[in-house]
Amino acid sequence: MSTQDKVKINKLPTGVPGLDEIVGGGLPEFSFNIIAGAPGSGKTTLAHQFVFANATPERPALYFTVLGESAIKMLRYQQQYTFFDPAMLPGSIRFINLSQVVLEKDLGAVLEQVTREVEKANPAVVVVDSFRTMVRKPEGDMDLQSFIQRMALFLASWQATTFLIGEYAEEELRDNPIFTVADGLFWLRQTAERNSIVRKLQIIKLRGQDSVPGLHTFRITNAGVQAFSRTFGLTGHTKTPPTDRRLSFGIAELDAMLGGGVREGDSVLVAGSSGTGKSVLATQFIAEGIRQGEPGIVAVFEERPQAYAERAASLGLDLETPQKDGKLTILYLRPLDLSVDETMHSILDAVQKIGAKRLVIDSLAGFEMALSPGFRADFRESLYRMIFALTGIGVTIVSTVEVDESFTEFPFSTYSISFLCDDILRLRYVSIDGQLRKIMVVIKMRGGNHAKDIREYEITSKGVVILGKRLTNFQGLISGIPVHSVAATEEPSLDTGTEHKG
Amino acid sequence: MTAGPEMRDLAHRLLAYEAGAGNGAGSAEAASGRVYEKLRGSLTEFVGVAGFQSLESRALTLVRLESSGPDPVRIGTGKIETHIDMDKEWAGEVGILLIAHLLGLLRMFLGEALTLSLLRNAWPGEVFDDGNAVHGRQA
Repeated sequence: MSTQDKVKINKLPTGVPGLDEIVGGGLPEFSFNIIAGAPGSGKTTLAHQFVFANATPERPALYFTVLGESAIKMLRYQQQYTFFDPAMLPGSIRFINLSQVVLEKDLGAVLEQVTREVEKANPAVVVVDSFRTMVRKPEGDMDLQSFIQRMALFLASWQATTFLIGEYAEEELRDNPIFTVADGLFWLRQTAERNSIVRKLQIIKLRGQDSVPGLHTFRITNAGVQAFSRTFGLTGHTKTPPTDRRLSFGIAELDAMLGGGVREGDSVLVAGSSGTGKSVLATQFIAEGIRQGEPGIVAVFEERPQAYAERAASLGLDLETPQKDGKLTILYLRPLDLSVDETMHSILDAVQKIGAKRLVIDSLAGFEMALSPGFRADFRESLYRMIFALTGIGVTIVSTVEVDESFTEFPFSTYSISFLCDDILRLRYVSIDGQLRKIMVVIKMRGGNHAKDIREYEITSKGVVILGKRLTNFQGLISGIPVHSVAATEEPSLDTGTEHKG
Repeated sequence: MTAGPEMRDLAHRLLAYEAGAGNGAGSAEAASGRVYEKLRGSLTEFVGVAGFQSLESRALTLVRLESSGPDPVRIGTGKIETHIDMDKEWAGEVGILLIAHLLGLLRMFLGEALTLSLLRNAWPGEVFDDGNAVHGRQA
């Protein structure tokens, strides 16, 4: 033993996927915690997950139920979750009903019974559900403050990690003695946004632990509560250093325009109006990666994976075989009520599963539409976190975005997100000689050389094919309505592409 | 129907265990009384007094509906403790029926696995060991 030694606080698994990271690696052992929130927000389920993850026959969990939901109904419903193991009852988990003593006696008697049961069972975990129903009762000979303090002191001394569960409104957060005593305060929120429910979790305080601040999305499924950290589970991951390696689109002329290809770890935005070939380009990018042995992920929001693969097949690109070989995953993310964080976790899981190097998000508009309305307000901020996290682990991202075709301006995105992207490739229609033709131009490449050239291209049965060389003899190409700068009868002249410093 | 053959079989099994461990008080009524009290104790800890009384009243009603004779069951009016005073003639059969209905209600609400887990709190595992007790005797 040394005078320099600090106490080491053990961290207990929360049993809630994603929550360990949010609380800084696990819940501090012997902490006295409160789970607060509105009815139906998942408080009991979260507590059950913690109990099932930590209770053992030697150090069981005592789960005190008070007034409120009947114990039978609670277990009837809770056992539907996959984490619920009936075999753990009653050896490792005991449910004890305190209703009678709460109804007939005072807080002192409640404390006495809790004390008696704890001394008898020597539990590692104690839960009181719902604590709020207990403290609404008029006080007897023990005031609330001392009741809370004595219970917290007793349970910590008995080496129990404790959860008090209560229905609280946000305005009750201030000047509440319960919250002052608690080591950890978990606040669960649930709001209706148009036709969907948005659930968010906040660790308002957690003593001795470096928890992730802010609101974290969570979802309740048949596996229980699943939390999605704002840090996407990447806390502690070392950022992959940028490389000079270039990734090919599989289109030699486009690679040349990009100064040799997309820089590895870049985020590329392919912007254009409907039918300009954004998805085709993105598909060629992913297919070329697979050809070069780089696994890929395609996140689609507007069509099913099968349809996506069939469309690729029509361009001569085989996406079926790499899917079977585990080199490609086409993720179809369930529309309408997603959060960005959930989407991110799905993508990250897929990236880590197959070691993906390339990711296509097709499209950002579809992505936004797939989100719950409540999350759309945070779309730009969430997208920033997502792109930063993914490129940080060395994934190269190509995102497509649809922009309204305008003949008076040249927008890159409707989301004002171009600053998030390292590289921007703009596709658009132009009216030339009575035809609606397509041009592309590299708008920016962060830290790299790229061509300034405006190139005409077509979408053929082989995908995007860039025609000839750069368009010359036209002015106002990006307006969409160029004019010949030479005699109108001449064919557009072509020149070799030149590179410029980006 | 909450007291089907499986639940009656389980009730018989519990009674047989209690009759064997009866310390001389070997009558069927005494054994069913002990089973009932153990159930009451175990369930009251879990669901509370009021919770147990609710289950009990439902089970008693089901017993009355199923019994053909005169009302075999009387419920006491104690505030916390509920007393069951069974007609001697019917005591053995009604006791089993009442226990079977209580077990059946538990199974209906909690499922088989959790019901057996809770019963293991009051009876040793060997009572349920010869196969799945709720599915009847295997032998």
